[in-house]
Amino acid sequence: MAGLAFACAASVAVAQTTPADPAPQTPAVVQTQPAPAAPETVVEAAPTHPLSGQCSVPTSEIAAPAPLPTLVSRLEKNLPLRILAIGSSSTWGVGATSNRKNYPSQLEGMLERVLKDIPIEMINRGVSGETAGTTADRLRMEAALIKPDLVLWQVGTNDAVQRVSVESFERTVGKTVAVLKRKKIDVVLVGLQYTPKFARDEHYFAIREALKRVAVEQNVIYVRRYQAMEFIAKTKASIRMMADDDFHLNDLGYQCMAEHIAQAVTANLFVRRRKPAS
Amino acid sequence: MPSVPPKVKGTRPPNEIDFWRGFALVTIFVNHIPGIYFETFTYRNFGFSDSAELFVLLAGWSLRAMVDRSRDLEPLRLVFRIGGRAVVLYVAQLVITVIAVAMIAATALLAQTNLVLQWNNAAAVFDEPVTANIGLVILTHHLGYFDILPLYIVLMTVAPAIAILHRFTPGALLALSCAVYAATLYTGFNLPTWPVEGRWFFNPFAWQLVFVIGYVLGGDGRPQRLIKKHRTGLRFLGISFVVGSFFAAVWGWYPDWLTAPEPAAFFVVDKTFQTPLRLLHVLALVAAFGGAFLYLARWAKPLVQYFSMLGRNSLNVFCVGSLLSLAGQIARFTFEGNLSVDVAVLLIGLVGLSVTAWVSEWRQRL
Repeated sequence: MAGLAFACAASVAVAQTTPADPAPQTPAVVQTQPAPAAPETVVEAAPTHPLSGQCSVPTSEIAAPAPLPTLVSRLEKNLPLRILAIGSSSTWGVGATSNRKNYPSQLEGMLERVLKDIPIEMINRGVSGETAGTTADRLRMEAALIKPDLVLWQVGTNDAVQRVSVESFERTVGKTVAVLKRKKIDVVLVGLQYTPKFARDEHYFAIREALKRVAVEQNVIYVRRYQAMEFIAKTKASIRMMADDDFHLNDLGYQCMAEHIAQAVTANLFVRRRKPAS
Repeated sequence: MPSVPPKVKGTRPPNEIDFWRGFALVTIFVNHIPGIYFETFTYRNFGFSDSAELFVLLAGWSLRAMVDRSRDLEPLRLVFRIGGRAVVLYVAQLVITVIAVAMIAATALLAQTNLVLQWNNAAAVFDEPVTANIGLVILTHHLGYFDILPLYIVLMTVAPAIAILHRFTPGALLALSCAVYAATLYTGFNLPTWPVEGRWFFNPFAWQLVFVIGYVLGGDGRPQRLIKKHRTGLRFLGISFVVGSFFAAVWGWYPDWLTAPEPAAFFVVDKTFQTPLRLLHVLALVAAFGGAFLYLARWAKPLVQYFSMLGRNSLNVFCVGSLLSLAGQIARFTFEGNLSVDVAVLLIGLVGLSVTAWVSEWRQRL
């Protein structure tokens, strides 16, 4: 029940830039709602609330649901979370004004606001320019040494740009995700950068599709970063999300990226809780 | 010593150490161009270790030769002589890094794509110069593939201590080195990088063991007498391990970080922590191929002369080789890598390495 209540709070509070919510300070407040009705109400409310104005995208555009068993069980026991954010320049934060504005740092703040009593440790292991194969080797080592509960793996852009073959990309990512899952580490795949430059690039598209297939096969969350950012670019043309190089994100772009991931993670914690059978 | 005449007058004749060092340098040059066709034929694909281990082992080996040559030197002078080498390496690292940064920047300008600026972990240099420039100078920021020299600098900085310890208590050196190695693997300790959050690609606390083993093997003493006595047995063990690891590497039969029992670093094949399987593999290679030089010197003289010339000038060749590898990456990017580009990159690289060695020796004779 506590987890459910937390999820209500989560989906409402996730992306509020000012945490001005006096009511749901503790899960107990939410528990005062009539129990059977609560899930329904929140499910409907979830898509509209979590994202700030500039970053808002229909939730269905962000990620398909998938379970996060380790996070759920740790949250049920009120245990601290350790998150490993690994990937390339978008994880390290090229284009951000400081390392407090890269996506993992912003996401850490967002999750801490939502999961009030749960300490969160975010470890950033982004290395710019890296393709999936190199990151996968690092990821296995870092996962063994750091022992995270959740891995956020931002992957694909460099493979697409550097023309890594689709088969080898898919095999590398698939094998690594499978072994992480076997070690009871939850995985969220964070997709490719959106850029008009590669909007018509076939290989770019093929790598995106491959990543999507891996997520479906392994039943892990895949944050469709490309679609989400494309949606914002097309619907809110006046908001500048890109850094001067027109490829990497700026601080606001990283904020949206973090919000979308926060939304995907918290929404799936909630979805999981709705199914008592599991 | 076989009678291969020196190619260049006034330089030492080809020897086994120079030969294998040259071989390692060429292999490193190829391995540092990801995706190049010839990369699939370097020996890292057929066993656990790669040319980096060989390079560091032989660096320890030739340090020992240098120390033994200056046997009469008093300790303080020895310390300064070896320590001076660390300074030379440090200067070399800074020079090649600056040139590499400029090559990446020039490529971005000419190809009109800023994407290139994030290659090889270079993004911080362009995106966060205030911190990254400090990181480059204090060696906490390494460009991808430009991370061997920082390890070598650390090793040469402690090399005076290695030499002194070995001179006065030879038995303690290997024991201490093994203890540091075991503690590192057990705890997972490694030096941090900055401003990019991470750890060193070559963990000096693990890699020092390769260097120290090279140092111990390089001289004359009790270990050498033991090795000579059991030479046949050791060669048999070495060949068996090399063959076994060939099949393990080709079929992927080795434990993974996430599937190995704890503490995983003792069981996996990992470069950062220079894990036991990789260490055993490079030692097995030495046991299996040590002495093969005699036959090569007889039957493949041009090859022996080429590799030995590179090995004699290893620092210069390594530095130019690193830059040629980066040039190869740029060429493959620009011309959208195909086999003819790869052949051209390889040939230009091999010629470039030998020109570097030749010029270095020519300059010494001026």
